[in-house]
Amino acid sequence: MLKPKRTSRKVRYDNSAYFYLLPALLLLAVFIVYPITNTLITSFKGEYRFLTGDFEGYSWQNYIEIIKDPIFRRAIMNTLFIAFVCIPASMAIALFLSLILNSVQKWQGFFMTLFYLPQVTNVIAAGIVFAFMFNTNFGVINMILGWFGIEPVAWISGQGIASSPELYHQAYARCLFIVFVYTVWQGLSLKIILFLSGLQNINKQYYQAAKVDGTSFWRTIRKITLPLLSPTTLYVFITSVITAFKAYAQVIALFGKQYGPAGDGSKMMITIVGYMMDSMGDYLSPGSISKASSAAMILVVMVMIVTAVQIKISKKWVHYN
Amino acid sequence: MSRLFRYLLLSLSAALILVPFYWMINTSLKTNAEILRIPPTLFPTEFRFQNFADAIVKAPILAYLFNTVVVALCVVTISTVVSVLAAFAFARLNFRGKPFLFIVILGTMMVPQEMLIITNFMTIANLGWMNTWQALIAPYCINAFNIYLLRQTFKQVPDELYLASKVDGVSNFCFLRKIMLPLSKSTIVTVMILSVVWIWDTYAWPSLVTTNDSMRLVSNGLQNAFTSDSGRIQYEIQMAASTLVILPLVFLFLMLKKNIISGMVKGGIKG
Repeated sequence: MLKPKRTSRKVRYDNSAYFYLLPALLLLAVFIVYPITNTLITSFKGEYRFLTGDFEGYSWQNYIEIIKDPIFRRAIMNTLFIAFVCIPASMAIALFLSLILNSVQKWQGFFMTLFYLPQVTNVIAAGIVFAFMFNTNFGVINMILGWFGIEPVAWISGQGIASSPELYHQAYARCLFIVFVYTVWQGLSLKIILFLSGLQNINKQYYQAAKVDGTSFWRTIRKITLPLLSPTTLYVFITSVITAFKAYAQVIALFGKQYGPAGDGSKMMITIVGYMMDSMGDYLSPGSISKASSAAMILVVMVMIVTAVQIKISKKWVHYN
Repeated sequence: MSRLFRYLLLSLSAALILVPFYWMINTSLKTNAEILRIPPTLFPTEFRFQNFADAIVKAPILAYLFNTVVVALCVVTISTVVSVLAAFAFARLNFRGKPFLFIVILGTMMVPQEMLIITNFMTIANLGWMNTWQALIAPYCINAFNIYLLRQTFKQVPDELYLASKVDGVSNFCFLRKIMLPLSKSTIVTVMILSVVWIWDTYAWPSLVTTNDSMRLVSNGLQNAFTSDSGRIQYEIQMAASTLVILPLVFLFLMLKKNIISGMVKGGIKG
């Protein structure tokens, strides 16, 4: 007797899919999934030796050690400075320029091209150029200051910082300023691109309505543009903060591998990734890879916190079109 | 705000943004004697193009550029093929574990690249790959974001095209090659450019796995070439080298502006 024909169609699996996936899954497993789990585990290993693989039990010791380390604390402070001081400033400038750029028709493409240029540089090359711009004798910054009768500033100078805390703080403030200028410049392009695309997505009818009512330029921006732009603003803020958490190459380019002016032994401008990379560079001494791993895990937790905040805020505060 | 004032503000901002480029090119053309002048000159009194030749030979920037181009070409080729194949499976084919695997791919996008460096370094060292091309290339060949972006693009190709090709007995691979790829050309170009920009800018990973000067990429070579000098830094050659590193990217950008900008809007440059 024949079986009755099935009426409902079952989902048919296509086994050839695995051939398409194989290269990606292999690479994903080796270079992404395994590193995530292994770094997590390594961060808890005591006295881990890379060459033999020996270690002494699992504990929070590595985390406690790096949190006690003044250099790591400095790394956290510097990273937070880039994320929460430089990024908001860069965003404010980018938003302002995007608003103006969006309100003009002629030459818009030309200005956009110019504003995008910092994005397509190389982080080290641009950093070296900035370091030279801040050069005491031959730099353009002091030259411009000179036009206004200001004496040359020794921007990247570590003179006397070892003995005087006050001079150290002054040198630190100057270095922070350089990082600030570089970060703002470097981040402008991407933010302008994103803000502009956000602005162009706003429904034109709102503006027409405002025009009919005779609303002023600034009031239109405050009451219509900014609220409707808030999803873009949040997205830009979150992605920029996450990028800033990973800051490393720019401080190397600006200040060299000692992370500070010549004569500074305190790694004045070090960042979290810098701390991680320095521990990695010392990979043969016991425990240094685990220290790097726990620094990396702290970075991951920071990224996760920011992402969680993003999800929370976007549900409550952000206006969607 | 009057129109004139707006253009004035835009021009002023553009000028400020361009100062580093100007100062770099200005310095790269000066003679050694002119560099030492205080205050510095706004325009070179005498052009010295020899600085570029010096940067190419002494730094040696040409070798670093060559290495970077080789790595970038390999990464772009391999990672594009890998991403296209995986994205096709996720967009078109049914297989067991699809939702789970896709969530894994999306999840890895949230993990900072810098965190992976530690274990990847151990893997590379254990394989005996230090100072090799494989070490510089392999970890960049997988990019979850590219898979995601391509999958979204492939999804937009109408189902009817796929079903019709099935009726005609066209194989999956043939469909991917003949229909999907031509229709998704602009996204694929975007993905390729983003990979090049990523490699051009990469610093941390190559500085860990290469210790030989002959294996360095531009970023690492540039960083080491002039700062480790015990004597006076030759700023004019340093700036000439920086110019040589930045100019190719600027040209690439001017040629492919549309693709680069759409890539930035879709997902940003990998940091």
